[in-house]
Amino acid sequence: MSKDTIKKTKKGKVEKRQSIGYAFIGPAAFAMIAMIIYPMAYGLYISFFNTNLVTKWKFVGLRYYIQAFTNSEFYSSVLLTFKFMILVVIGHFLLGFISASLLNTEFKGRTVFRVIFMLPWLFPESVIALLFTWILNPMYGVLNAILKSLGLISSNMSWLSSGSLAFPTIVFVCIWKGYPLVMTMILSGLQSVSKDLYEAAMIDGATKWKQFLHVTVPGLRPVLTTTLILDSVWWFKQYTLVYTMTGGGPGKATDLVSLSIYGTAFNDLQFGKASAWGIIVFGICYLISKIYRLILKEE
Amino acid sequence: MKSKKKIMAAARYLILIVLSLFIIVPVLWMVSTAFKGEAQTYSPIPVWIPSPISLDSFKKFFGLYSFGKMTRNSLVTCLGSMVICTACACFSGYGVTRFKFKGKKQFMAFLLVTQTFPSVMLVVPFYAVLSAYRLTNSLLGLTIVYAATNIAFSTWMMTSYFETIPLELDEAARVDGANSFTIFSKVVLPLTIPGIAAVAIFVLINGWNEYMYSSILISKDSLKTLTVGIVSLNTQNQVHWNDMMAASSMSCLPLIILFLCFQRYFIAGMTSGAVKS
Repeated sequence: MSKDTIKKTKKGKVEKRQSIGYAFIGPAAFAMIAMIIYPMAYGLYISFFNTNLVTKWKFVGLRYYIQAFTNSEFYSSVLLTFKFMILVVIGHFLLGFISASLLNTEFKGRTVFRVIFMLPWLFPESVIALLFTWILNPMYGVLNAILKSLGLISSNMSWLSSGSLAFPTIVFVCIWKGYPLVMTMILSGLQSVSKDLYEAAMIDGATKWKQFLHVTVPGLRPVLTTTLILDSVWWFKQYTLVYTMTGGGPGKATDLVSLSIYGTAFNDLQFGKASAWGIIVFGICYLISKIYRLILKEE
Repeated sequence: MKSKKKIMAAARYLILIVLSLFIIVPVLWMVSTAFKGEAQTYSPIPVWIPSPISLDSFKKFFGLYSFGKMTRNSLVTCLGSMVICTACACFSGYGVTRFKFKGKKQFMAFLLVTQTFPSVMLVVPFYAVLSAYRLTNSLLGLTIVYAATNIAFSTWMMTSYFETIPLELDEAARVDGANSFTIFSKVVLPLTIPGIAAVAIFVLINGWNEYMYSSILISKDSLKTLTVGIVSLNTQNQVHWNDMMAASSMSCLPLIILFLCFQRYFIAGMTSGAVKS
């Protein structure tokens, strides 16, 4: 449509319209260049220096990048983050799928349930982190009290400060916080799948399972791809929830890559090293989205 | 057949109720703790309905902890970033859908790539760049950061909304002699108000909830935002969980109200932007 209108206008006019187009994207482009590209480039620049940003500026070249791959400190944290991301995203999709398909038909009280299911997404991550720290408190936490009264545990558990429990616990909380978005996306995807397709499938005698496999899944593919990419990348970068709940501990049990970058920069004041790690994480996130796109590309 | 349907409906409600308990119980515990005095907060047997109901923690919210001021700071930054970001998104959404120019595709693709930038990686450069402009410890600096980090997704949302407005409208107005800016502001923009509402709420929620940038870029107590203030209660020597839960409830309340009022716009705008991309 827009192409046709532009073709019809004379050449002079096209050029004029082109400059107006630039004028309209100008503010956004300026903001992106000043506040995203420039800081990114600056980050790349300082990743070649051993620097505290104030007095010390020592050029080290690619040393931090090489260290990241040879030194277990960084890649063990990356591996942990991958494990975290995979578990959290699976959790989001399971819960998101179940709740979306339950909410996809008309019934009494649907809006109420929809609002309830959206709640975790509205709350600030820092607030959710505090709330669960309180619920999981080893001395006064309500979870221990409930589990004890049900006879499931005999003594209080310290959920967030035990080396083996801390990681599953933060995964659980992150699933709790993040599934509403996946649910909303899947719900909107389900609603965009045409009803006629189901009717046609029904006439052809397809069972519910076959309908799901051959109508629902292909119809959802574009939504699922986008959601999978965004959700994976967002949770790979997760910082606030985990930092507030465990600070990366106990030991290194929940030391996700964002937390180690943060610590390297603002506790150790090794800004160059932190930037180098940040650049690598960006590379990883970019690769994740590329790989998903390749795998899930429509046949 | 009928009884089978009834069983299905019952099963649906059962699963829905179990799932919502899983959401509601933690939230109720937050609210319940907020209304407790010290003694009941640390009672060995959990108390769900506090008696007597204590409002002390809420009084401290405005008094002792001066969260009133932090609420104001949060409000200023998230409203400021909302205005900047929504304006930029409207302009660029209109520009992208209405004009043909070189680099348009690259611009949109670039916006998408920025979604994969780890925010923790931008923290160090933001800190350095804002220090250079003396914009750390400034609400203006924080506002700019919030606006910038939201522009990409907002522009995608706005673009998919502008695509739903027919181009004939522009053409008709152009024939009547209106210039591009008039067409944009007087003809097309009023039709995109639901989209604008969705973007505005999206940016508002993100700004209100943000923690990391704020905790690094603001160190002055008088400029701290609410999320940072609440978390800082957790690091004090004596942790008052009832006060903390009261503050947490207070910080969630505005968003719940906002969401209830604009629910429909919000979900529609949010998903249309994401699905298209």
